[in-house]
Amino acid sequence: MKLLSYIKQWKSAAREAVAQASIAAQFLSFIHITDAYICSTTLVQGPSMLPTLNYSGDVVLIEHLSHRLGKLEPGDILLVRSPVDPKKIVAKRIVGMEGDRVTYLTEPSYSESSRTVLVPKGHVWIQGDNVYASADSRYFGAVPYGLIQGRAFLRVWPIGDFGYL
Amino acid sequence: MWSIIREAFDKTLLVAKAYGILHITNSYLCTVALAYGPSMIPTINLTGDLILAERISPRLRKVGVGDIVIVRSPVVPSRVVTKRVVGMEGDRVTYLLDPHNSDEVRSTVVPRGHVWIQGDNIYNSKDSRDFGPVPYALVEAKLLWRVWPPKDFGPMQHIAR
Repeated sequence: MKLLSYIKQWKSAAREAVAQASIAAQFLSFIHITDAYICSTTLVQGPSMLPTLNYSGDVVLIEHLSHRLGKLEPGDILLVRSPVDPKKIVAKRIVGMEGDRVTYLTEPSYSESSRTVLVPKGHVWIQGDNVYASADSRYFGAVPYGLIQGRAFLRVWPIGDFGYL
Repeated sequence: MWSIIREAFDKTLLVAKAYGILHITNSYLCTVALAYGPSMIPTINLTGDLILAERISPRLRKVGVGDIVIVRSPVVPSRVVTKRVVGMEGDRVTYLLDPHNSDEVRSTVVPRGHVWIQGDNIYNSKDSRDFGPVPYALVEAKLLWRVWPPKDFGPMQHIAR
């Protein structure tokens, strides 16, 4: 008999726990869908986008709509999953879309020699603003469009550099 | 009148929640894929098979040689293709350049962070032999279990027949 009453108590507590958990789950999935498909924030750091982005780190807003709608243009700063290290996401600028001819310096620190490349279909050519310290398409080639994660459009931190990118 | 609006709002919210759960399951856990076309004959039928595909293995880097994977096409980004992984990064892959006409083979090493995918039907398949090795991050799902047609119900073969 005691067991039955314990089970009854546990049942109502479990029901309430499930109700609270489902509210939390709905909230989290709403946040997640906004984060993954509309707008999110990222900390971007490193020397490859100097002087546009600071070396020690900037918090930028990323929008995930343009690349799905095919509205990217040369000059956009993108977040792209690295083709050589799938765990890493890099921030670079689009220099050429598919079909464009891109000319770049092969060794900017040492020589003036340049190379011209045709960007293949379904790919983009990305380069860091700081060509002297950037591993980008000059190193790993044109990047398939499917690796693009989003476009950085607004810097929110540091406050002194707040503004559109 | 307000009760009608409230009821409409509640029903819409319910549909949105159900859709949200379905979407998250489809994108992060498990989805049903319709795979069709000649490039994976005889493993996958020409007219189309419904196959359960899971999205957890690619994230955990548990995709290996012999797995059939769904990959976002590097040539047409709005399309996904179904092929078999023939080589992981660092593997040496040997393939026939033109299987219809000659026995000429070429051999490459799969670069870091990439996979080499080929269709089981090498005579009619656009795969890494055409567009080169594919970055690992483009691998979206791994095919697990065929659910339609019923006579082919069962797990997907790990190695090409």
